[in-house]
Amino acid sequence: MRAPYALSGLRFLMIVLTSLAVFVSSSALAAEPKRGGTLRVAYGNEILGLDFHTVPGYEMIWVATNVGCGLLGITPDGKFVPDAAESWQISPDGLLYTFKLKRNVLFHDGTPVDAAAVKFSIDRIMDPATRSSMRPFYEAVHSVEVLDPHSVQIRLKYPYAFMMHMLAAYRMGLVLYSPTATQKYTLEERKAGKAEAVVGCGPFKLVEWVKGSHLVMDRFDKYFEPGLPYLNRVVIRVIKDPVTQMAAFKAGEIDFIADFSADHVDTLRAQNPGAQIMTGKETTPMVAMMKVTVPADGKPMSKERAPHPIFSDIRVRKAIGCYGIDRKEIVKIAFKGQATPWLGIIPPGSLDTVDVTSMCPYDPARAKALLAEAGYGPQKPLTFELLTNTEKSVFSVIATMVKEQLARLGVTANIRLVDKPSWLTTTTQDGPFDMYIEDLATLLTVDQNSYLSMTTAGWNHSRHTDTKVDEYYARYAREMDPAKRKAIAKEFQEFSADKLYWNTISGSPFYQVAQPWMKGYVYQAEFKVHYKKVWLDR
Amino acid sequence: MRTYILRRLLQIVPTVLMITLVVFVMMRSVPGDPVVVLLGDAYTEENAVKVREEYALDKPVLVQYGIWLGKLVRGDWGASILSGRPVLSDVLVRLPVTLELIVLSMGIALLIAVPAAIIGALRQNTWADYTATTAAMIGVSIPEFFVGILLLLVFSFSLHGFLPSSGWMYLPGTCPSMVCGVSVWGNLQHVLMPAVALGVGRAAILTRLLRASMLEVIRSEYVTTARAKGLSERPVVFKHALKNALIPTVTVMGLQVGFLIGGAIVVETLFAMPGLGTFGIDAIIARDYQQVQGFALITALAFVVINLIVDLTYTFLDPRIRYA
Repeated sequence: MRAPYALSGLRFLMIVLTSLAVFVSSSALAAEPKRGGTLRVAYGNEILGLDFHTVPGYEMIWVATNVGCGLLGITPDGKFVPDAAESWQISPDGLLYTFKLKRNVLFHDGTPVDAAAVKFSIDRIMDPATRSSMRPFYEAVHSVEVLDPHSVQIRLKYPYAFMMHMLAAYRMGLVLYSPTATQKYTLEERKAGKAEAVVGCGPFKLVEWVKGSHLVMDRFDKYFEPGLPYLNRVVIRVIKDPVTQMAAFKAGEIDFIADFSADHVDTLRAQNPGAQIMTGKETTPMVAMMKVTVPADGKPMSKERAPHPIFSDIRVRKAIGCYGIDRKEIVKIAFKGQATPWLGIIPPGSLDTVDVTSMCPYDPARAKALLAEAGYGPQKPLTFELLTNTEKSVFSVIATMVKEQLARLGVTANIRLVDKPSWLTTTTQDGPFDMYIEDLATLLTVDQNSYLSMTTAGWNHSRHTDTKVDEYYARYAREMDPAKRKAIAKEFQEFSADKLYWNTISGSPFYQVAQPWMKGYVYQAEFKVHYKKVWLDR
Repeated sequence: MRTYILRRLLQIVPTVLMITLVVFVMMRSVPGDPVVVLLGDAYTEENAVKVREEYALDKPVLVQYGIWLGKLVRGDWGASILSGRPVLSDVLVRLPVTLELIVLSMGIALLIAVPAAIIGALRQNTWADYTATTAAMIGVSIPEFFVGILLLLVFSFSLHGFLPSSGWMYLPGTCPSMVCGVSVWGNLQHVLMPAVALGVGRAAILTRLLRASMLEVIRSEYVTTARAKGLSERPVVFKHALKNALIPTVTVMGLQVGFLIGGAIVVETLFAMPGLGTFGIDAIIARDYQQVQGFALITALAFVVINLIVDLTYTFLDPRIRYA
């Protein structure tokens, strides 16, 4: 069966990304794109490294999507579009994915993007020694076979409804690496950004990365899409301070801010009336995670679990996380109304999301009653630690608001503010905490959240042990009928809201800002930052 | 003199070793695990164990320090745990930026401090003195980041980019990478605001100190003698008084280098400069132990070498000082 590029049955991002504010400059549509020029981009955080299969961080991903190419891409309205593959077929049983490759696709080192290269890249991700964070999503893959130099087949162990989404857009999607360059150079050289080692097949080739200073990408003249990219060069600089970002933007020193602080959007808008400010439905959840179990033997990560002294009790979880938190007030004050109060396990902008927020109305009386039922009250006041980190100022604001809201219930939340690595270490290594405030990864589908919340996931920060969650993920991911899958998603989100192993407060807004003269850019939230169709009208 | 310099140079070795050891131990005592940062969303216990083995992070701290030291002796400063980049090359790329910033900010500090202190001392308890001392008090009280933001808002924001808000442009012939902006004027434009932000606080401290020294010196007998001999005020002030008053000031200038490196972290972050300050703070935040060690080593070296140079300038300022 030959699948159309747009899998209408899935309709997944029709809901997800049509709700995103897709930004295409009207003048870009009207005017003829101009060739040449240098796009000057500001990132708010440092790039951690440039091995696309292993290094974490969005900043790396936003380089990978331009230096690399994959089998297929995805549009904001959820259509799968060809990238290095010109067509694909999915067998009726959903176990064989056959991709026919374009014949004119080259890596930046001049070697062809052929079936062997595709197999090489997927095998590399699946190899446990690579330690790729994408590996869990390739769990369904049995093997990759080279049918001929331009045909490659992925055989699955069982049907996986999100194979295409995963290849197109989980993290940055599958990024193909030149086998020649990858075998010639070491992992350390790739991480370090040695240009000869970081060889993809995208519209731009890496010229230089000087950590802390700049990253330069130049147009790849042999890029397979005719006429693209328009730009000669992209220069990325790290400007961490939002005030400095605004000053640089107003002075015209930068053309594009890839991730702009939500706190400063109004100021930037007032100072730069012509600026293109892009945002959409949130795809990242802001959570107030409660720890459900602790190591029984006191050793972090122990498989022997004991109930958390406070939040293992569902009545307390509901009193605090459900009825005790006023989500609307938090959004109004912390986000100046620029976010959506939310409860579901996936954020408002993700596929198959369901608004279950009404299951947790702000109800202090009900919260107090539940706390009393659980044995807490004036005689035995509840006190716990609320952990958050310094990465974004909004975390502290939300933590303070939660503390204040819980104080109305007679509950004391002691805020512990730490830096990001300390927070990561505490939460990821099963350290001591009761509740934390943080926005987690951007999520395209319910399935993508499995690596954060299955019982076996390294990032299962609540350390819940309810295998019913795993069963929901498995049922959802293996159900090939979109309607049935949607029903499972709804049931799962209601189950999650009821159990509160995962406690979302709201969506976490994401902003990008461009100068009026930057044309052709398509906003796709954190998932994709593509410069191949960008041009400068000045 | 030669023996003195040699002795001081040899003293650098245990000093730097002690500093790097303290930093090494302290960094490992701070909460936060670089392995978690490195693995990110690929974190599992199995992966973490393997990474710790690879980077010898599973070994006792002193053994790790010994490994680091052993490599250092062979000229290997190690590689970043996160990015895999060689620490030494990253340090060398960033060193000129911070050196220029520090030298220029100290120059600005002196440009402000010397005349203000002289005027304040010679016209004690006049409006000029009060103005200088009040300005110095304000200068000491305002943190670098605040001065930096003010400058940014005025010269970059309000004046539509009269001075660039961020980044760096290299002096001709100093570009350490393939792609650089290179221009003398551009360099000056980029360094001016950060240097002023960093220099104002130092200027205030030096003004107060130099004024006090000058007041003491101009009341000394040899200055009275010089005046009695009929020397005009200019040589009395500049040749006899200022030169001697500078000795404690120069000592403090040497010690201020440490504060300047600390201030550079703030200023470089604010102005998004690719210097050692941002290198250091990024390394600390990411718990990138190898980079932190590189930062500690280079700053310790800079501090002790600059203070050695300061000590040697005493002989120029006061010929009576001799080093055996």
